[in-house]
Amino acid sequence: MAQNGKGRRVAITGMGVVSPIGTGKEKFWAAIKQGECGVGPIQGFPLQDLYITIGGEVRDFDPKIHCKSKAVSLADRYSQYAAAAADEAIRQSGLEVPFQNGERAASIVGSGAGGLATMDKAYEDIFVHKKKALHPLTLLRIIGSSAAAHVSIDYGIKGPVFGTVSACSTAAHAIGLAFQLIRGGAVDVAVAGAGEAAITYGAMRAWQAMRVLSPEGCFPFSKRRNGTVLGEGAGILVLEDLEHARARGATVLAELCGFGMTSDASDMVNPDVEGPTRAMRIALADAGLSPSGIDYLNAHGTATAANDINETRAIKAVFGEHANRLPISSTKSMHGHCLGAGGGIEAVVCIQAMLEGFVPATIGFDEPGTGCDLDYTPNEGRNREIGYAMSNSFAFGGLNAVLIFGPAPK
Amino acid sequence: MDDVAEKIIVILRKNMRDQSKEVTLDTKLTDLEIESLDLAVIVFDIEDTFGIQIPYNANEEVQDFATVGSVVERVKAVLAGSQASNPA
Repeated sequence: MAQNGKGRRVAITGMGVVSPIGTGKEKFWAAIKQGECGVGPIQGFPLQDLYITIGGEVRDFDPKIHCKSKAVSLADRYSQYAAAAADEAIRQSGLEVPFQNGERAASIVGSGAGGLATMDKAYEDIFVHKKKALHPLTLLRIIGSSAAAHVSIDYGIKGPVFGTVSACSTAAHAIGLAFQLIRGGAVDVAVAGAGEAAITYGAMRAWQAMRVLSPEGCFPFSKRRNGTVLGEGAGILVLEDLEHARARGATVLAELCGFGMTSDASDMVNPDVEGPTRAMRIALADAGLSPSGIDYLNAHGTATAANDINETRAIKAVFGEHANRLPISSTKSMHGHCLGAGGGIEAVVCIQAMLEGFVPATIGFDEPGTGCDLDYTPNEGRNREIGYAMSNSFAFGGLNAVLIFGPAPK
Repeated sequence: MDDVAEKIIVILRKNMRDQSKEVTLDTKLTDLEIESLDLAVIVFDIEDTFGIQIPYNANEEVQDFATVGSVVERVKAVLAGSQASNPA
């Protein structure tokens, strides 16, 4: 397994998370096990005339505690979330800070939308308040590369540093590219994932205009599903060459075994079945696994009418008979759709699920939606050994990214 | 055909793949090859033209958008009931 001529093996030695159901792994995972729902009335800004008034906001983030450097404390929230999650992950890894061999390390931290809150405020200052000057940090707060740069500066990462941008697949692409960099020998360590803080008045107006948000809640694969609910936060992993991790006596949490990325080449909004099918197949081939080797699938499961049926069909195409026995769930039912950060948060879910032998539930499940007849672990999680876990991310434009995690190699 | 219906057909035509196709009140929206975000754009145009708000959820089967005639009826109903428009 994984000795398939693809290159060096890649271990996960740290993970960090900021989410609507808790900042920090401990709180987050406890909430996942309890089936807690982080979706509620939006409180971060005046709702004014919004008709979609619910979201998954991060409620326990304190910049005074969670921002470890002055620069990050002055950054946009998306960077603060990413930096806080990176700090948690790097602490867990036990790597010396600043990194001893920074030139052999990468920081690949993306964002779907970057510093939207900063942008909203800056435009208000210019166009409404006619202010004479903008804050000098405005630009740096807005751009989507700053999170990666902050992490690089705070930890002495001097190798490849940049962000990925692929809407809801941003974090998965970041993690996958970091995987390939280590496998191929360009770096030995990578901090990878994404941060997102895109629940602002302006962004909600833009999302409302697409008519895909639910006024009630996020109910993946359910009959009553009627759209997605926005979330925010960050999910970051420390990836490391396996031998590098072993040499320094690091605790290996899991192995990143496979990565598949494809595109539908079809539509900007509606997914096609072929792109996600291929992405899952490529990830399996990359991991040297057959479909029956997957023990848990963390679905993209956004609760839109389109995604859930399309994803179900793709899962059936890939897994055949095994699809009927495969435990699946969408944890977006709990933390909402964290957009660019989703793939990172969900990677943490997968790894934690494997470490504990627990399949998280899809909460809020009333009855199966038409054509959604697989096992989505409705409402209650289950204790079950998980050897290999697959995580799906399928973004606007048909951008598909699939990660496969396996147990820490003996 | 009244003014409301005429304006709506102009908007539909702008968003159709084949602008020369015949459009009557009985024409189904699906026959006009309106897909994906086209409907959201059409509704946006209609809202802007008439100064109204037409709430709908793309995840739900919207009967009001079945035919051109049903769209016209929906717009007329909103016009009859609405005061100021709220932006999308």
